[in-house]
Amino acid sequence: MTISEREFLERAGLDRQTLTVWIEEEWLIPGHAGAEQTFSEMDIARANLIRDLKQDMGVNDAGLSVILHLLDQMHGLRRALADLMQSTRERTPKSGA
Amino acid sequence: MQDPYQVLGVAKTASAEEIRKAYRQLAKKLHPDLNPGDKRAEERFKEVSVANDLLSDPEKRRRYDAGEIDASGAEKAPPQGRYYREYAGGAGHPYENASGYADFAESDDIFAELLRRSREQARRAPGADLHYVLNVPFLEAVNGASKTITLPEGGTLEVTIPPGVEDGQILRLRGKGAPSPGEGPPGDALVQIVVQPHRFFTREGDDILLDLPITVKEAALGAEVRAPTTTGSVFLKVPKRSNTGDVLRLKGKGVKRRDAAGDELVKLRVMMPTEPEPELEAFLASWSPLPNYDPRKEMRS
Repeated sequence: MTISEREFLERAGLDRQTLTVWIEEEWLIPGHAGAEQTFSEMDIARANLIRDLKQDMGVNDAGLSVILHLLDQMHGLRRALADLMQSTRERTPKSGA
Repeated sequence: MQDPYQVLGVAKTASAEEIRKAYRQLAKKLHPDLNPGDKRAEERFKEVSVANDLLSDPEKRRRYDAGEIDASGAEKAPPQGRYYREYAGGAGHPYENASGYADFAESDDIFAELLRRSREQARRAPGADLHYVLNVPFLEAVNGASKTITLPEGGTLEVTIPPGVEDGQILRLRGKGAPSPGEGPPGDALVQIVVQPHRFFTREGDDILLDLPITVKEAALGAEVRAPTTTGSVFLKVPKRSNTGDVLRLKGKGVKRRDAAGDELVKLRVMMPTEPEPELEAFLASWSPLPNYDPRKEMRS
């Protein structure tokens, strides 16, 4: 389900200017439908994370880019690991059956 | 509920700055998005957030210290789907990043093969399904129709409503969903049908139900009356001495399917005149029914 920019700003508790900066920094990558930017539930969760990092933990902008990059790599790795485990399980016949 | 000072690990006399620092330290360690594999992180982080909510607000802290509120006073359940980690495990989203293992995937052993395969799968993953709700007037749901949905993001969607579609039914339009994030096919559009009620028809399976009011004269003497059906009105033969509650069946006038059709079930309702009818009253006053006419026969003991 896509979310309009207006609804996104409201639900993420952001103003438009901040959003523009976050998109320029590539912290958020909106989708597009015609000339409109669209967002997902995932973008809202990511915006919440960015806010927690900046406000609650005092991470600065440079640090934030590094954290997000490493975090996305970690999720990539977690998925690769999960895929591997899944394929391994499928290849290993159940014992005792 | 635990003592918020203990949760944050600060003294009762801690300054606002000390509390802020303590919270910041713990948040860095416990934030669920920084511990994606730790199922308990969310719970522990919540405890810390609740304690911080309480102690970082001077008024709430004063009332807690004075024993006016307990530590659970500030507790709020985080909304579902709050954390990024709940989404980031999927494939084919714009933040996906393989640079943590790309070198492994390039070697030529069995693991690399499995990795390559799963990345290929992600690339070919279809787009997301999009959900819509479509209100359909009763008669269009019975007879079928062609509708155009105007989408919130501009553009339109043509929906062919098959005859006899049911309330709550979901129509799947292949390839009309979101485009694939990679090179896969687009997702589907799922259109949920909400059938609007009709002024006098209702539906039971493939049968159409109708309450048809008739006059006392039509009920007593029998008549041909016009009865509405979902495809226009027809003449209906009301037999002599019909009663309220009698059901007449119009064969094949229900919902039409490819191989069969339901019926329309017409339930009669005898209506007394609502305006004065002196002639009828005069007649009935002078009328002596035969002894057998006793509608309450069954109730006699």
